[in-house]
Amino acid sequence: MVPYETAAIPIANPPATSSSTTTTAISKPPEIDGLLAGAGYKVRSSDLRHVAQRLERLETAMLNSPSQHLSLLASDAVLYNPSDLSTWVDSLLSELNQSQSLPSLPSDLSDLVSNPTALDGSWMDQQLPPPTAAIHNQQPSQLTVVEEDSGIRLVHMLMTCAEYVQRGELSLAGSLIQDMQSLLTRVNTGCGIGKVAGCFIDALGRRVFAAGGGGGIPGSAYETEILYHHFYEACPYLKFAHFTANQAILEAFDGHDCVHVVDFNLMHGLQWPALIQALALRPGGPPTLRLTGIGPPSPDGRDSLREIGLRLAELARSVNVRFAFRGVAASRLEDVKPWMLQVNPKEAVAVNSIMQLHKLLAGPGLDPAHRPAPIEAVLGWIRSLNPKIVTVVEHEADHNQPGFLDRFTESLYYYSTMFDSLDACALQPEKALAEVYIQREICNVVSCEGSARLERHEPLARWRERLGRAGFRPLHLGSNAFKQASMLLTLFSAEGYCVEENEGCLTLGWHSRPLIAASAWHALPETAAVSPDVAVVGGAVM
Amino acid sequence: MPAASRNSIGGGRGFGINDDVDILTEVLKRLDGRSVCVAACVCRQWSSIARKDSVWEELCFRHVSPGVRPVVVALGGYKRLYMVCVRPLLKRMTLARPDEVQLSLSLFCVHYYETLAGSGPPSSLMFLCNPVNV
Repeated sequence: MVPYETAAIPIANPPATSSSTTTTAISKPPEIDGLLAGAGYKVRSSDLRHVAQRLERLETAMLNSPSQHLSLLASDAVLYNPSDLSTWVDSLLSELNQSQSLPSLPSDLSDLVSNPTALDGSWMDQQLPPPTAAIHNQQPSQLTVVEEDSGIRLVHMLMTCAEYVQRGELSLAGSLIQDMQSLLTRVNTGCGIGKVAGCFIDALGRRVFAAGGGGGIPGSAYETEILYHHFYEACPYLKFAHFTANQAILEAFDGHDCVHVVDFNLMHGLQWPALIQALALRPGGPPTLRLTGIGPPSPDGRDSLREIGLRLAELARSVNVRFAFRGVAASRLEDVKPWMLQVNPKEAVAVNSIMQLHKLLAGPGLDPAHRPAPIEAVLGWIRSLNPKIVTVVEHEADHNQPGFLDRFTESLYYYSTMFDSLDACALQPEKALAEVYIQREICNVVSCEGSARLERHEPLARWRERLGRAGFRPLHLGSNAFKQASMLLTLFSAEGYCVEENEGCLTLGWHSRPLIAASAWHALPETAAVSPDVAVVGGAVM
Repeated sequence: MPAASRNSIGGGRGFGINDDVDILTEVLKRLDGRSVCVAACVCRQWSSIARKDSVWEELCFRHVSPGVRPVVVALGGYKRLYMVCVRPLLKRMTLARPDEVQLSLSLFCVHYYETLAGSGPPSSLMFLCNPVNV
């Protein structure tokens, strides 16, 4: 398929069944498009889409017309007022709409076709894909072709819209979003490209139409927990993260009798029962386990952290593991100070971060003088705790690029893959809520900026550099973790998941595209020269 | 020797399987899960024996370290472990290797933890019930 984009004209969508006017809010004085001006036409830039749409409609109508009528069109034509293309096309189309069955085309159409100066001929001559318009004589058997093509068109339109957004042409982006929304009604949004496109169109809409620049989806911490739980159940990514981290922590705690785990995002504490049980069964008996869980404060007076802690304590008691829990309520990870964790120097410490570190990354474009990236400070105080192991699980994607279009493209591919993997899940309502969870992430990546954009995913290679600079060295995850991950995957019904080993880290992906990466680190013992600096980094930069 | 057999073996009347609970238990222990459930339908005595956790322990893991039993009992018992975890897992792995045993125990533990929450049926193992996509 040849995409017929010129510099300023987007791919138009198939016509609506009733004539619709584009409701573009024109904020700047009407400018004349330069390219068409060169061909002798005066068309306002803001009308370009409108004109393109109408012309495409004419073209499809002509393609559908019986061949004998086309030869009729090739008679002499007169083009009146050639510069006012916009009005002229509209009048043609209003005539066309009246004649539904198109056995004969209005003679006015001949004006459009035969005059060699009428239009840039390359437009009309190009081979269009099979008409995807809802023309009434469309055969039912062509529906799947229609959908596929609609899907491809949606993707093209999404990319074009993202380009407009990057260039700041929000009015063009806005009208394209409306067109995409109407195209969406003709596509199956229950699965496949339709569903992904729906999420991205929604996110773009929030970005373009929200007052005050960008709006994510508001949601309470409680809602987030529920969505997270369903995401946990519907697909293996979080289970993989938990089991892999637990295996690494278990191995790191070997031989220690007092151990302390710091969890950067407790949620429902689903990661810890398995670790408690594994510690209970370890040869030589269980250690004394302390767990410090960090989570957002609960708004309604419930101490949800404490409730989770009590539940974990009950489980630990039933399997005879000495256990103590402490909750640290903080709405942002950077608000946590190391003294809140009350780490005892004699215990072996494990720091566990499942998809939390990326929220600490300042955008690369931000002025470092105003606010240094909290990531450096947090990594600094983690190091000061002298942990035996730091388990880090992150999305394997680059959603923190400075350019919007790059970010958009990357996230479109990433989340399409993730939605694909979710399609295989048959559990409802888990699947639907898991999709909402993913949709919120997409919204944050696409429609938020600045400090509101928390989902700043970076790939494993970049985390390696960052953690290396902060004084951590990688711990290879080992074959036990790999075997366990592979076993876990065999339990999931979808056959497309794959676990790969990547220089001592494990990644879980769908059909050879890694989507989530798990790694383990430990801090080098600090030299005398370094430690005072580390203390300063931990304390001063807040 | 447990409950005295009413008829001596050499006495000509033979040995009834229902006469010795321990022997009956040992026999039932060697069956597969479905057969144990079928056996539980035979009569009241067989039903009570089929419910014994020791029968299900054999079904779950044949050779494990002694520390496993108190943990499993604390998490709900072997019969529950079998129904909830081992049976779906056996479709995809043998549970003969210690790491497979460990994985099933971990999954069982998450399940138990969810029951502690008390808010609706635990669902973390629902994914095991899905038919394998071939």
